[in-house]
Amino acid sequence: MRTKLKISFLLLTICFATGLHAQPITVTDVVGREVTIPQPAKRVILGEGRQLITLSLLVPDPVAIVAGWTGDFAKSGGLLYEDYRKRFPALDDIPLIGTSGKETVSTEQIIALKPDLAIFGAGSHGPDAKSADVIRTLEAAGIPIVFIDFRLHPFKNTVPSMELLGKVLGREQQANEFVAFYNRRINHIRGTLAKHTDLQKPKVYMEMIRGAAPPGSPGNGNLGEFIEFAGGNNIGTILPGEVGTLNMEYVISEQPDVYITTGIAKPGEEGIVIGQQVYTYQTQESLAKHASRAVVSPLNAVKENRVYAMWHLFYDSPLNIAAVEAIAKWTHPELFGKLQPHGVLKEINERFLAVPLKGVYFAELKK
Amino acid sequence: MTPETITIDKGYRQQFTRRVAMLCALGVAALVSFFVDMAVGPSMLRFNEVIQAVWSPDTVGLAQRVIVWEVRMPYALMALLVGACLSLAGCEMQTVMNNAMASPFTLGVSAAASFGAALAIVLGLSLPGIAGEWMVVVNAFLFAFGATLLLQLLSSMRGSGPEGLVLFGIALVFMFNAFTGIMQYVATVEALQQFVFWTLGSLSKANWDNIPLLTALFVVITPFSFASAWQLTALRLGEESARSFGVNARRLRLLSLLRISLLTAGAVAFAGIIGFIGLVGPHIAKLLIGEDHRFSLPASILSGALIMSLASILSKVVVAGAIVPVGIVTSLIGVPVFVILILRKRS
Repeated sequence: MRTKLKISFLLLTICFATGLHAQPITVTDVVGREVTIPQPAKRVILGEGRQLITLSLLVPDPVAIVAGWTGDFAKSGGLLYEDYRKRFPALDDIPLIGTSGKETVSTEQIIALKPDLAIFGAGSHGPDAKSADVIRTLEAAGIPIVFIDFRLHPFKNTVPSMELLGKVLGREQQANEFVAFYNRRINHIRGTLAKHTDLQKPKVYMEMIRGAAPPGSPGNGNLGEFIEFAGGNNIGTILPGEVGTLNMEYVISEQPDVYITTGIAKPGEEGIVIGQQVYTYQTQESLAKHASRAVVSPLNAVKENRVYAMWHLFYDSPLNIAAVEAIAKWTHPELFGKLQPHGVLKEINERFLAVPLKGVYFAELKK
Repeated sequence: MTPETITIDKGYRQQFTRRVAMLCALGVAALVSFFVDMAVGPSMLRFNEVIQAVWSPDTVGLAQRVIVWEVRMPYALMALLVGACLSLAGCEMQTVMNNAMASPFTLGVSAAASFGAALAIVLGLSLPGIAGEWMVVVNAFLFAFGATLLLQLLSSMRGSGPEGLVLFGIALVFMFNAFTGIMQYVATVEALQQFVFWTLGSLSKANWDNIPLLTALFVVITPFSFASAWQLTALRLGEESARSFGVNARRLRLLSLLRISLLTAGAVAFAGIIGFIGLVGPHIAKLLIGEDHRFSLPASILSGALIMSLASILSKVVVAGAIVPVGIVTSLIGVPVFVILILRKRS
């Protein structure tokens, strides 16, 4: 009797498991497309290599499920990329579908790699929602595509993107944990601000730096959304798109109270030196040099030493939650002075990330 | 004097006066445009405040001083300089190539400069001892100049006709574009964006380090250009007639190309690719003032400076507070002027 029970239980389990397994997954992605895949994806294409960091929030060995990717993480990831390589030597063997720009992406290569899912950004350096030809060809070849977004409208799309990834990768539990963690922190800021309805909104000037080029600033989108959310007044909202270049004269005449710059330089390179395996003094040196330019000397933010730096890639990553806390802390120190953005990263390291972030990711200019 | 020569003499004097007046008008227009450029900006400084900041910078606040001295003035001056350099280069180029479609960018000079800039931005390669943003400048300059020398070498192997030069020039354009394409292919996303911004052309790199350099370049080269004015006019009549005036066409072409490459390289190095001025500046000048190079050379300088200065104003006001790369709006300003002039000439 007992054996029979056991057997039937086993059969039931198998039926149930296979039944579950065969259950197709239907999701709606961030651009509103309904996508069905037969089972959780085991071989994915990353339209932007840097989203490996995103996968590593959900999957212990993200490299094992990447069937192909663009080369941008190798080139822009700095020493973080090296740490990923050390942890996952197989990284070097992931086939490239293109280098950095979307025009370098080979659709044929994607099809040849036989992925069971392509993950693209809604707006990205790789193929995105505007790449009609790539989408058409991949769909014709039976390769499903889902669009995620941490870049155009991260405030709205980060949570849906993570939930989406949890479903299509069969990692819903991890995704839900991350989303809960994310929402808890967002809600803390939202709740605090709601209690102070008559709050002054400090003007925030943010620039996103790449090398020595004229910097871009977030407009109506991107990290600018987090400035507005955190009770700041993003002076870049006059820009027509998500990111654009502000006239320095406008910046001076606006007299921003807070000046935040992003950076991605490795030690020895031009720009703000910040990120994995970077030392505090290196960030401080580059930030001090940047803040001492004549053109920013009249800014209140510079005179009152409210000059800050953060890692550039927060602009296109669910790790933006740490950036939100930093922005809140810098914009409203009287309310959020106790927030610890590096502490957020520490918790993310411990609870989620396959390769921990170690180095300087946020900095406040010291006098 | 016979009555005929008196009539000719009178006609010449009238024409001369008219052309001088036209030059003065262009000069005044450029100057006015420069002042407007200085007066326009998102910060709503009044014009007398701008003047006060210019004449006695110590009496005004830091913000006002920085806006006028570090933002508005460098941009406005750079606009004049870049427009003048490219348009002068274009005027000479159209004559020595005997081709109305020629511009400083026809013969691969800008393609070479782009490749040099890409090398600096993407790979960080430049001469030893050159660092930071100067790498882009030095590379753009070296490659533009190198391309001209290569062009000279190639065409001297074949004879000095303008057709050969154009063909080799086009070959250089494609070669350097391919090299630049390779650079873009291996570039990081950030470097790629930086490079794209550079190629769009922008006055935002103007500062008190590079304006004196470009000014010096322009001031040194222009007299040589003016000194060749009559020879260029003779060449415009055809190579045979030029030879009959005793002009060594080959030598003239060589020296002219040298000036063109220096002017173009200088402008491109500091402002990126601004393609339209070098083609249309000289045409506007010639439509207004004729083919006599004693007038068309200075007129080209002034019309180029004027268009560029107007474009600089427009690039600031399209989206108040934002900057639209000036290379984009140059055509928006220049094309209507150009079309109107052509239509008026026809009727």
